[in-house]
Amino acid sequence: MTLADAFKILVIDDEVQIRRFLGISLRAQGYEVAEAGSGRDGLDLLATRGADLVILDLGLPDMDGQQVLKELRTWSSLPVIVLSVRSNENEKVAALDAGANDYVTKPFGVQELSARLRGLLKRSPEGEPTPAFDDGHLRIDIARRQVARDGEPLTLSRKEWALLALLMQHTGRVLTQPQLLRELWGPTHQHDTHYLRILVAKLRTKLGDDAAAPRYIRTEAGVGLRFIGNEF
Amino acid sequence: MTADRSAQADALLGPLQRERGGQLKVFLGAAPGVGKTYSMLSAARELRRQSVDAVVGLVETHGRVETQALVDGLELLPRKTIDYKGRELTELDLDALLARKPRVAIIDELAHTNAPGSRHERRYQDIEELLNAGIDVYTTVNIQHIESLNDVVRQITGVRVTETVPDAFLDRARDIVLVDLPPRELIERLQQGKVYMGEQAAAALQAFFSASNLTALRDLAVQLVADRVDADMREHMAARGVGAVPVRRRVIAAIDGFEHSEYLVRVTRKIAERRQAPWAVVFVDNGQVAGDRQRMVEESFALARRLGGETVQLRGLSVVDELLAHASRNTVSTIVIGRTRERPFARIFNRTLTQQLLHKGAHFELTIISTPYARARARRALEQSDEPNAGIKGELIYASIVAVLTTGLAAIADYFLSLQDLSLIFITGVLFVAVRTRMAVAVYAATLCFLAYNFFFIEPRFTLYISAGRGVVTVAAFLVVALICSRLANRLRSQVLMLRAANTHAATLQRLGQQLSAAADETQVFRAATQALRETLAADVVLLVAQEGTRRLTEVARDPARATLDVQATAAADWSLAHQQLAGRTTDTLQGSAWWCVPMIVGEQPLGVVCLRFAEGVNRLRPELSTLAQAMVQDLAQALARTRMVTQLEAARVQAETDLLRAALLSSVSHDLRSPLSAIIGSAESLSVYTDKLSEDDKRALAEGILSEGQRLDRYIQNLLDMTKLGHGTLDLQRQWSGFDEIAGSALARLRKLYPAVPVDMHLSPMLPLLNVHPALIEQALFNILENAAKFSPEGAAVSLRAVVFEGRLRIDIIDRGPGIPEGERKQIFDMFYSVQRGDRGAQGTGLGLTICQGMIGAHGGSVEALATETGRGTTIRITLPISEPPPPQQDA
Repeated sequence: MTLADAFKILVIDDEVQIRRFLGISLRAQGYEVAEAGSGRDGLDLLATRGADLVILDLGLPDMDGQQVLKELRTWSSLPVIVLSVRSNENEKVAALDAGANDYVTKPFGVQELSARLRGLLKRSPEGEPTPAFDDGHLRIDIARRQVARDGEPLTLSRKEWALLALLMQHTGRVLTQPQLLRELWGPTHQHDTHYLRILVAKLRTKLGDDAAAPRYIRTEAGVGLRFIGNEF
Repeated sequence: MTADRSAQADALLGPLQRERGGQLKVFLGAAPGVGKTYSMLSAARELRRQSVDAVVGLVETHGRVETQALVDGLELLPRKTIDYKGRELTELDLDALLARKPRVAIIDELAHTNAPGSRHERRYQDIEELLNAGIDVYTTVNIQHIESLNDVVRQITGVRVTETVPDAFLDRARDIVLVDLPPRELIERLQQGKVYMGEQAAAALQAFFSASNLTALRDLAVQLVADRVDADMREHMAARGVGAVPVRRRVIAAIDGFEHSEYLVRVTRKIAERRQAPWAVVFVDNGQVAGDRQRMVEESFALARRLGGETVQLRGLSVVDELLAHASRNTVSTIVIGRTRERPFARIFNRTLTQQLLHKGAHFELTIISTPYARARARRALEQSDEPNAGIKGELIYASIVAVLTTGLAAIADYFLSLQDLSLIFITGVLFVAVRTRMAVAVYAATLCFLAYNFFFIEPRFTLYISAGRGVVTVAAFLVVALICSRLANRLRSQVLMLRAANTHAATLQRLGQQLSAAADETQVFRAATQALRETLAADVVLLVAQEGTRRLTEVARDPARATLDVQATAAADWSLAHQQLAGRTTDTLQGSAWWCVPMIVGEQPLGVVCLRFAEGVNRLRPELSTLAQAMVQDLAQALARTRMVTQLEAARVQAETDLLRAALLSSVSHDLRSPLSAIIGSAESLSVYTDKLSEDDKRALAEGILSEGQRLDRYIQNLLDMTKLGHGTLDLQRQWSGFDEIAGSALARLRKLYPAVPVDMHLSPMLPLLNVHPALIEQALFNILENAAKFSPEGAAVSLRAVVFEGRLRIDIIDRGPGIPEGERKQIFDMFYSVQRGDRGAQGTGLGLTICQGMIGAHGGSVEALATETGRGTTIRITLPISEPPPPQQDA
C-alpha cells in the first residue's frame, strides 16, 4: 500500500452514511480522505486543499453532479470517479463524455471501487500509453505495433489496431461509444454504433476473446468498452 | 309625495295583513319528485319536537317508504270519504280540522281539485278557510301549478296544466321554501322509479321530465323565490322607512277581445311584477264588440283579477283617445298592446291602433307583444309565399281588377285619345299585372285586356269582331309584353327568394356551427343539433349513432320525446348508414317509411344517421330545404368527429401522463431504495474485508450505519405502503381523541434518534384542544415534515415547532433555517409528480414524504402548505387541522 501513501481522495456525496463508510474503508487502505456534502463545498474544498482523486455523486442537493464535473474540468484534469444511483446509461455516457474517468453504480462493492481507484491513481497523470501487455497467451506491444496470440503473430487491420491501441492506452477505463466513434471514424459518425459493434467482434475473434465471458475487452452495456488488462 | 306616502302605507299594511289570521308556508318545487312532501314532513317533525301542535291534515306519500316513515309519529287526521258516482274518493276533512284547530296544519298538494260535492272546488280554498280561522298551514306546490306561469310552463313543456293556483293566494304565504334538486338527480330518481307518476299516461310525463324542461322549470322556481326575497326585503325596508320607495307607476294592458287577450294579461302581469308596479287590464267598448269577443273580454278580466290585477272597461268611439285619457289620469307609465291583426284596408285607409298610439301617446312607454297567434300567422304567411301554388287565386283576382280598372280608364280616355293610344293604356295594365304575377296569370291578363279592348273600343263596338291583321298584331303585342315582363319579373323574384333562402340557410348554419363548436361533449353536440334541426326544419328528429367500429345504430337523442322510429324507419336508417346515402321518405329507397334518413359521414367513415319526419302530407322536399338539412347534418357529423377526437386525445394524454408518472415513480423508488442499500452494502463489505485494519470505533460506526440505514429503508417502505393505501383510498382512519402534545412528543422522540444534533424548539400554546384523529397517521405526517426540516437545517440551527388555535382550527408551523424553497415551487413540493421528478437531486430520499404527508392530513380534512418564513430564510410548513366538538365528558363509572 505504499502506492496510497500520499494519495488524497475527496468524496463528494450528500449521503452521510455513504461518506462515513467510504471514509472508514478508504482510510483503512491508507488513503487520506476529505468529505463534502454538496457540490459547492466539494469544489471549494478541492480549490483550497487539493486532492489526487475525486469520488463524485451525481445526485447532489445544490447542483447536479454533471455540473460539478463540468466546472471542475475547466481548471483540473485530476481523475474523477462518478457515483450514481442512476442506472440510466445516458447519464453515465454524459458523465464520461464530460470528463469523468470512470463510474460506479450504487450500490457498489468497496473492492470494486478500490480496484478502479488504484487503476486511475497508478496511471496519473493520464495520457501516457501503456506500452505493453502480456498475460502468457496474448502479447501486445504498442510501440512496435505487434500482437501475438500464443506466440503466433496476428495481423490486424488499421481500424482494429487503432481500437486496440486506444483501449490499451486507457486500460481499466471505460471509453464511451461516442468517444471511440469520434476517435476512429470522425465526429460525423458518432451515432453509428454498429460500426463499432462489427469492429470489436472481429477484434475479439482475432484475440481469442469471448464477448460473453471477456478476458480482454469488456462491453459496458449501452456505455462503451473497457480494456480489462491484468488487474481487473 | 302622496304616492310616496301611500306606498309606504302599503308597505306597512302588507305585513300586517299577512300577520292577521294563520300563516302560510309553501314548499315549492320545480317538478314532482324533488322532495317537497319530504321536506314539509321533516319541518313538521321539527315542529313536533319543539312541542308545537302540528297535525297532518292530508299527505300523499305515494307509497314511498322514507316519506311514510316521516308521517309515523305525527298526528294524522282521518280523511273524509266522498261517494262520487259509485267511486269512493277521499278528501281533506276540513270541518274536522277546523274543529281540531291545531296551531299548524300540514296539507299536501295545494293545487289539488276537490272531488265534486266538497265544500270548495279547490284545495287552496280549503286552506284559505283554515288560514282565516287562524290556523297556520304548511303546504306543497309545483311551479307549473302557478297561474301566472301557466303559459310559460306550457311553452317549455308543451303540457297544459289545468289545476292552477292564483298568484294572489301565493302572495299570502309568509314563507316560500324552495325545495331544489338538480335535474340530473331527479331524472335518476325517476329512472329508479322513485317518483310518483300519477294516473296520467306515464309516457306523457316522461316527456315532461326531460333535462331541458326540468332545468327551465327549476329556473322558474328559483326566479319566483328570488323575486319573493326581493319583495320581502323591499317591504322590510319600506316598513322601517328606510330607502327610497319609488312612485309606483302603473302598467296597463289594452285588450280587444281577440284570441290573444289572455296571453296579453299574463305577460302584462309579469312585466308589472318585475317592476313592482300595480297593473290593470283595460278594454275600450266602442259599441262594435259582441258575442265571442265580449265573452273573451270577460274571461280575460276574470283572469286578470285572479292574477291580482285591476280591470277597467271604458266606453268611447275612439279606442286610442279613451286609452290615452285613462292612462294620463292614472299615472300609467306603460301601455301593453298585442300586435294588431293587419287588415289590408286598415293599412291603406286607416292607421292601425299601434300606429295611432305611437303617434299620439308619445309620452307613454309602449310595449308591443308578439303573441303566439301573431307568430303563427306570420309563419303561415311566409310558408304560403314559398309554396308554388299558393296565392294563385289572389293573383287572378288582382289581374281581373287591373283589367277592369284599365278598361274604365280607357273608357274615360276614349273621349280625347285615339284608338291606338288606348291600346297603350291596356298594355300598361298588362305590364302592371305581368311584373307582379306568374306567367299564366300574365297571359290571362293579356287575354282579358285584349278582349276588353276589342269589345269596348274597336269598331264595331260591343262585338268581338276584328279584322284579322289588326287583331293578330294587337293580341301578339299584348302577349309578348305579358310574357317578357312576366318572365323577367319572375326571374328577378326567384333570385330574390333564393338569395333570401340562402341568407336564412347561411345564418342557420352559422348559428348551428357556433352552438356545435361550443359543445364540449357528445351529449351537448346531440342536444344542440337536435334542437336546431327541429326548429329549422319543423320536423321530428331522431339521432342514431353507430357504435365505434361497428354498424350497429344506437339512438342518442330525439325531439320531441314521443318521436319513435318504426321498423321501416330503422331499416331505412341501417340502409342509409351502410350505403352512405339518403334513404326513406322522399327518396327512392324504402320510401314507405315516414322518416327521411340522412347519413352522417366524415371522410369515408359513417358515424350515424339523422332521421327526420316532416309534417303529414309533405311528400316532396323543396331542394333548398333538403340541401340545408344535409348541410346541417354534415356540420353535426363534423362536430361529432371533433368531440370524439378530443376525447381520444384526452385519453391519450392521460395515458401518457400516467406512463410518465409511473416511470418517474419507479426511478424515485429505485433511488430511495438504493441509497440506503449502498451504505449498507458498502459498510458491511468494509467490515468483512478490512476487519483487521479497522479500529473498534470504526467498526462500531460502520455497524451503526448499517442499522440506521436499515431503519431508513424500513421507513421508506412504510411510506410507500402508506402511499399505496392513500392512492387506493383504502386508508382506514381510526380516529381517537388525542392530545397534540402527545403526538408531537412522539414524533420528536423519533426525530431525536435520527438527528440527535438538530435542536428542536417547541412552542405549544397552552390549552390546545383534543383532536379527533388517527394519531399514528398525524404523527407520521408530522415526522415526515420534521425529518425534512432537520435534513435541510444547517448545523446547529434549530427547527421550530409551533401550534396554536387560529380561526377554529389547529395551526401547526414547522420552521427550518435551511436554504428555503423558491416561491414558484412551494405549491409543487407536495405534488407526487414534482417530488419524483426531482429524483436523486433532493437531499437523501426527500422522495414522497411530503406527498404522503399531504395525503394523511387531507384524509383528516386538514391541509398542508409551504410558506416563506418571516425572516426570509428557510421554510415554514403549515399544517391546519379541523377541531371537532370536544368529546362528551367522561362519566364516572
